[in-house]
Amino acid sequence: MQIAGADNGVGGIEMENRELWSLLEMDLEKHDDLLAPLQGYFTSLFLERANRPQGMGYFDMVVGDIHGIRVKELAVAKKDGSKVFATFCVYVPEEIIQAVGSACVGLCGGSQFTVPSGEKVLPRNTCPLIKSAMGFKLDRVCPYFQVADWVIGETTCDGKKKAWEILNDYIPTYVMELPQKKLTRNIAFWEREVSEFAAFIEKETGVELTKDNLDRGIAVINGKRAALKRLASLRKAVPSPIHGLDVLLINQLAFFDDPIRFAKQVHLLCDELEGRIARREGVVPTNAPRILITGTPQPIPYWKIHALIEQGGGVIVGEESCVGERYYKDLTDPGASLEELLKNIAARSLNVNCACFTPNSGRIEDIVFMVNNLQVDGVIDFTLQFCQPYGVESHNVAKEMDRRNIPYLKLESDFSEEDQGQLKTRIDAFLEMLVC
Amino acid sequence: MKVAGLDLGSVNTKLVILDNDQPVYKKTLPSRFDPVTTGRELLKEAYKEYRPEKTVVTGYGRVSFPESRVITEITCQARGCHHFYPEVSYILDLGGQDAKVIKKNAQGKVINFVMNDKCAAGTGRFLDVIFKGLHLAPGDIGLALEAEPVAINSMCTVFAESEVIGLLAKGTSKLSVLAGLFKSTATRLAHFIETAGQPESLVFTGGGAYYQPLVQLLAKQLSIQVMTPPEPELTAAFGAALIGVSEG
Repeated sequence: MQIAGADNGVGGIEMENRELWSLLEMDLEKHDDLLAPLQGYFTSLFLERANRPQGMGYFDMVVGDIHGIRVKELAVAKKDGSKVFATFCVYVPEEIIQAVGSACVGLCGGSQFTVPSGEKVLPRNTCPLIKSAMGFKLDRVCPYFQVADWVIGETTCDGKKKAWEILNDYIPTYVMELPQKKLTRNIAFWEREVSEFAAFIEKETGVELTKDNLDRGIAVINGKRAALKRLASLRKAVPSPIHGLDVLLINQLAFFDDPIRFAKQVHLLCDELEGRIARREGVVPTNAPRILITGTPQPIPYWKIHALIEQGGGVIVGEESCVGERYYKDLTDPGASLEELLKNIAARSLNVNCACFTPNSGRIEDIVFMVNNLQVDGVIDFTLQFCQPYGVESHNVAKEMDRRNIPYLKLESDFSEEDQGQLKTRIDAFLEMLVC
Repeated sequence: MKVAGLDLGSVNTKLVILDNDQPVYKKTLPSRFDPVTTGRELLKEAYKEYRPEKTVVTGYGRVSFPESRVITEITCQARGCHHFYPEVSYILDLGGQDAKVIKKNAQGKVINFVMNDKCAAGTGRFLDVIFKGLHLAPGDIGLALEAEPVAINSMCTVFAESEVIGLLAKGTSKLSVLAGLFKSTATRLAHFIETAGQPESLVFTGGGAYYQPLVQLLAKQLSIQVMTPPEPELTAAFGAALIGVSEG
């Protein structure tokens, strides 16, 4: 996707990108078909929206060339001997990868375009995220998949757990096993899993993990999370100084971009937003319904739900999601030894309240905390189709919202565009319910 | 104040014009896959004589009327039904392409709602498709209550159609099939309603409320009183116009 200010001429970025994509053995024709509609979609949803902070310019640029600049950096880094580890989940300890000087990137998995290919090897009634990701690899249209040395999977749901076995036929896949409870023995189990992962990374990269380099790795990733936390806290302001759609984009890019540069840009944006807050400037009227999104992740370029809510006159002030709060809620504590640092890395990630755990009452507490902290008017519980853990857990979320008289709407959808009309009716009716 | 309420549905397009809260004009036309054009025609025709000062548009084609006040059918349905049954909290709206359960408060304001999935299963469209295949006259529908219902397991419109063909081929009577369809639809709707709460009574509205056997079977299934407004397909248009009047 070439958008703001990109040079499309012969010999320009586009040409360089095509050479790079060829080297990465991508299917160029299919990749063109994937990107073609995205430019218009991105322009109308983001670039043409009024009242956006100037600080979004950097992120627009990154997403505008999302399969270019960053992939090139990774390819260069690989030439210099580092490795690329691609992930799908916030439980994967990226601090360890950062520590040994390698790169950790998220993978493409939010597009309907690749779902039919994913369905060639996966049952149709599988979560669209898994199908889409698989399709990106099968179709060779995700440069991150192509540049990656390894995929780091995890066992956060049965769909993913079994899909890794298939994906391993196409790219080496390492699987981290997550416990299902958070008892003492489960914590010990996860600590061991993290240590084994550290040993695996040392072996693959040939770089020894030390207290010093892990301290630095933790500092970098903590820096990224702290920047995102700062951004999240500014959304407490009434009226909100930024659209949820813009923050969603930043949350999505957090998995792709260079962590140090990214954090710096997030802070610059936050400085600008603080100015807006001081002047009581917002992107919506003061009485616009403030919405919290909870549920399954929304990987790039999936913007449908946020777009419908904000086009309907609401403003999203928080995402209790892996592409959101769950990713940056906690930072890793410092430690006196390498062992202690690894232990702290395990402890931080196990604090994330994913529906793959039972019980998962911590998630409900997180939702209630966010509702109060962000002055939320209504909660929209969004579940990707066929996601069993979140789909089932919705019942308990709904029950608790009802008990606390917090307006609640449950939505289920996938990456297709067909259900926009039905979703719009539900969302608009929910917003009407909150204002009248 | 004269206000027009226009409801652009998937099956029918409905127009109600109120003079304050008194209806002065009501008309329903088949949407024929183009509720927007149908709606514009309806408005044009009525405008000459009634000259409404304001139009409130609802229904799934509402987004094509950006010049008017646009409100979802959920909010309008609650307001319309509240006019007839202020004391009843729960509404079932069985329309052409979806089913909704709405819970309203004592002021007629929506406090919760659920809608069925993106599928025609158990909606008015589902019943219409099957009835067309059975070649029954409208008068036959009431007879379904007296027939022994045959079990119909498929709720997907396409699968149910094949199941019905299979049953008829085996010699099952059309009335038993019809009774079976009503029974299975009532069961499905009852479960759907219970996902939204435990109503003590219910307003059944939308075009689906014209199927009296379905209304009765649903009442029996839920063991509650189920009421149908006098012209159930018009309540959303009526509610739209009422909101227009109260907004002034």
